[in-house]
Amino acid sequence: MTQLTAQPGASSMPSQPKAGLLTQIALITKRNLLVIFRTPQALLPPLIISIFFLVIYESTLGEAAGFLPGLSGNSYLGFILPLSLVSSALSGSSLASQNLVRDIESGYFDKLLLTPASRAALLLGPILAGGFILGLQAVFVIAVGLIMGLVSATGLPGLLVVIGLAILLGMGFAGFTVSAALGSGNAAVTQAASFLFFPLTFLTASFVPLELLSGWLKAAARINPITYVLEAMRSLLNEGWDMAVLWQGVAACLILAAAMYALAVYALRVRTRRN
Amino acid sequence: MTKGSIVVENLVKHYPGDVIAVDGVSLNVESGSIFGFLGPNGAGKSTTIKILTTLALPTSGQAMVGGYDVVTQAEEVRRIAGVALQDIGLDPLMKPLELLSLQTRMFGASGAEAYSRAEELLALVRLTDAVDRRVGTYSGGMRRRLDLALALAHEPQILFLDEPTTGLDPASRRDVWEEVRRLNRELGMTIFLTTQYLEEADELADVVAIINKGRIAVQGSPARLKSDVGNESINLAFDDRATAERALEELTALGRAQLDRDVLRLYMESAAEAIPSVVNRLREINVNPISLTLTQPTLDDVFLQITGQSFREEATGNGPELAQGAKGKTRRGR
Repeated sequence: MTQLTAQPGASSMPSQPKAGLLTQIALITKRNLLVIFRTPQALLPPLIISIFFLVIYESTLGEAAGFLPGLSGNSYLGFILPLSLVSSALSGSSLASQNLVRDIESGYFDKLLLTPASRAALLLGPILAGGFILGLQAVFVIAVGLIMGLVSATGLPGLLVVIGLAILLGMGFAGFTVSAALGSGNAAVTQAASFLFFPLTFLTASFVPLELLSGWLKAAARINPITYVLEAMRSLLNEGWDMAVLWQGVAACLILAAAMYALAVYALRVRTRRN
Repeated sequence: MTKGSIVVENLVKHYPGDVIAVDGVSLNVESGSIFGFLGPNGAGKSTTIKILTTLALPTSGQAMVGGYDVVTQAEEVRRIAGVALQDIGLDPLMKPLELLSLQTRMFGASGAEAYSRAEELLALVRLTDAVDRRVGTYSGGMRRRLDLALALAHEPQILFLDEPTTGLDPASRRDVWEEVRRLNRELGMTIFLTTQYLEEADELADVVAIINKGRIAVQGSPARLKSDVGNESINLAFDDRATAERALEELTALGRAQLDRDVLRLYMESAAEAIPSVVNRLREINVNPISLTLTQPTLDDVFLQITGQSFREEATGNGPELAQGAKGKTRRGR
């Protein structure tokens, strides 16, 4: 059986047999965005919810905020807007995984697996597309905040950093929902999994500053990465450039994103195991 | 010449729970040929194609696709092989050129190259008119053709088609057949085709293998397989079963007779020459058939002999199309 000897290399292949990693990531991200914008109505609910929270919190708690010692002199709008951004990042991040679930269900994901697409591109494509959408959402929420009278202590640069933090945090969430999508291949399970993160937005200094929390809630808030992201955003909006607080927020986002990305890599490996 | 060949040696695939999907399959597909892989549902066709296209690993045995090992050189296999799976994997929200150019670019083409290649492929499968429509609005046949175009995006030397015409209307099936023949003839592409339509294998394949219960039962050219089963038959249709039974009694001496409702089949060698005596005998007992046709053996007969079941019963929900296929065969046999 002479035919059974393997060819040593890919000598007869074209010189450029596959796209480079960055090109792959760009292509898959672009494709995910394209599909997201084909169903723009899916973008509306997360936006409406975040604006709803912003308006409700501000009008029910805004007046009382003057009595809260931790907030003396600060605007409650600048305090509550980050919470609205975080919940918008949460609900928006499931967009990334919804695309992936649809691809798995339609079989298009298998088609991509049969191309030389790298695992990183298959994962980062939907996550980055989700991040892009989250950026747009954050811009929108902040615009509404500005209309309501928000004044940023750090000006426009601070607002851009706030948007960056929202995107980074959302991409961490997206890593989690993408893992759920890969693990289940099922839209309902993926949607349900994205709700798992919601308690995190309450086990933190959601409505009052951290110092005013007590007991187990304070302990929970201390280990919740969202606490540090909220503090960084609030400090930028209400106080100014406090680098220590800012770096804590960035670090919290990065740790969460790295852990969730690792989970997604594992979920993809399980899904593509050739058995 | 290994470039477009497929060599499979003693391939075995077990699934958990002692399920043996593929049980020692060996195949040799020559470069540039069309290979038809037939079998009833659950015989191991899809598992074999999954292993050959690197989507599944074999439990044991070896498979080389275009000279590359499907286990250790999966990436090379993917580069020279195009695959259109039974479940068409197309995103309904995307438009054809977007799908095609993304696919082409993943294989290293530049943006401009990919776009012109995408247009070329779309013209090849005659979907240029539907260029602005989302795939979700396509008919089954159009989707199948676009899927075929996608499998061709990176100019593969070997094309795997898993039941490419299942669920298509007869006209779309003919379109796909024509396309497959053209790819094979003009580009010298090796084509590995699984199908549940015997007529399809007969039309297209140079060599056919029938898999049953995970093993290759028979392998050879359609003509040889058919001549191995042997006999031609004379088919006589009658008004009712009672008449057919009287004819059966009279004619059973002439050859192996089989009664199927009101149709009587007589299997014999050189059936054409026997027609006058059949007609004479029927006249003697005063029975007149509604129709008399002559049939040469089909792959259906080969299949029946090997698996002990009729292919027509096997292919659920596609009865009418297959029956039509069988009629076509009869006409040609005359």
